[in-house]
Amino acid sequence: MTARHHDILINALLYSVMAGVLLFFYIPIFTLIAFSLQEGRYLTLPFDGISLKWYGALLNSAPALTALRNSTLIAVVATFFATAIGTTAAIAAVRYRFRGKAIFQGLAGAPLAFPQLLLGIVLLLWFSVLGRWFGFNTGLVTAMIGHIVYITPFVMVIVAVQVHAFDPQLEDAARDCGATTWEVYRHVTIPLLWPGIFSAAIFAFLLSWGNFYITYSLAGSARTVPTFIFSGIAVGSSPLYPAIATVVFIPGLLLVVAATGLRRRSRLQGR
Amino acid sequence: MDQLVNRSWRDPELLLKALPSVLLQTLGFAAPLAMTFILTFQRTRDFQLRWTWDLATWADVFSKPHYWTILGHTLFMAAACVAACILLAFPIAYGLATRFRTLESEIKILITFAFITDATLKTFGWVLFLDKKGAANYLLERLGFPPEAVSFLFTDWATLLGMIYNLLPFAIFTLYISISNIDRNLILAAYDAGAGKWRAHWEVTLPLCKPGIWAGSVLIFLLGVGVFLEPKVLGGGTSPMSAELIRQTFETRVNWPLGAALTLVLMVVSVFIVLLFTRVLNMKRGGFGA
Repeated sequence: MTARHHDILINALLYSVMAGVLLFFYIPIFTLIAFSLQEGRYLTLPFDGISLKWYGALLNSAPALTALRNSTLIAVVATFFATAIGTTAAIAAVRYRFRGKAIFQGLAGAPLAFPQLLLGIVLLLWFSVLGRWFGFNTGLVTAMIGHIVYITPFVMVIVAVQVHAFDPQLEDAARDCGATTWEVYRHVTIPLLWPGIFSAAIFAFLLSWGNFYITYSLAGSARTVPTFIFSGIAVGSSPLYPAIATVVFIPGLLLVVAATGLRRRSRLQGR
Repeated sequence: MDQLVNRSWRDPELLLKALPSVLLQTLGFAAPLAMTFILTFQRTRDFQLRWTWDLATWADVFSKPHYWTILGHTLFMAAACVAACILLAFPIAYGLATRFRTLESEIKILITFAFITDATLKTFGWVLFLDKKGAANYLLERLGFPPEAVSFLFTDWATLLGMIYNLLPFAIFTLYISISNIDRNLILAAYDAGAGKWRAHWEVTLPLCKPGIWAGSVLIFLLGVGVFLEPKVLGGGTSPMSAELIRQTFETRVNWPLGAALTLVLMVVSVFIVLLFTRVLNMKRGGFGA
């Protein structure tokens, strides 16, 4: 067997593993999309017929719409704070040397390797005790705080990659030309870090939007899409749940495609 | 990075950037964790927390083998998940980093999208697929298989499948990063020195991505011991894992101190295992740990 044959064989092997894993990844996603088109009342095969009527039912279902609204609200707020805090932390962690830096990095990144359910429970205890002292209940706001704690480290890691590729002399040059600290940020630092910040923000939004564990623990009686669907799995449900799942897939797909496109463009510009 | 700027904590530049994150993770992570520890010394009576300061909860934890059986089962499942994820992720990460040139970005989009989609939805999708009357059996029956050929939903196998499904992307990402960072010249040097493809692979590529394999394993193990959705939804709650036990302790038994103690036991035991393995592997062959 020649080296060329060898190469083709390895490629074929790797591509087939890849295809197998992609199939594995998409089985439940396609299953949900398929079941959302079931016309009948139950999630059984064969379908009574194909229709979009459950999407219509979705628009008239108050709990489903409230869940969608809550998910969006939490995700927008969490994305904003997580992106701001995570970006500045990434700059500090990559660019500066300071006392206690290892502790800072450990603390700022700790929730990354902490199981989400346990983080949710630990925070639930915290807010319950604080809530008893200061007289508040868990709800949308505590869920937002939980999301920010969980997502900020992800933003930090993603932006840190971009900060690594950033030449700090560009900032020095701007400063030498008389730019103030704010102007350096506005015109040099942020534009150059933008691709990283943007993908991190999208990632943050999707992590928050799809989050189950933390919302489940911290949102009190408020429902988001994932917790709404979880309650639906328990009750033996109608195609309404696959339909809302499918609706949730769409913004995710669009955002991932947008983020990748932007990254590629910035890479081409960088050349 | 070569040009690290020295900053003191009195410097507003550093304070402005590092302080928000420090405050967030102190108040939102470290303090709650400390509070969890403190709660283990309290008691609950009539569904209310009582500040008593005693060791009753810990005595309970250490005297009931039931909790430890569940913990053992959890650790075993997490370890099985780590092994499966690393084996599956390696060829994919390797292909992405070195060979899939034409389709690379498309594959990355597909993996990222599958990863980012909410785990609850995907787990629900698996239930619909694997159910006795689900999509898999329906399709297989049409192809001529006997009815109910796929019948492992609500067993540990389904739980494991769900865990691998939800955690595999973490392994792919960490391995991909470590393989892309390997200096191609080292591999070319091995060829120049007369090594064949396999030899170069075994003696250069594989050792160089050990830190990535290790980082991925630790991440998946720590996340794997905390899964709740998979054993509950796919495993049908038939053989509960630690996270579910903890959740039940809070929800149905409303015993906060016990739940807090079980949370800490789970975390401490898993971190201890990770440290132990790092130690052992480091002693055996210098530099396995990252």
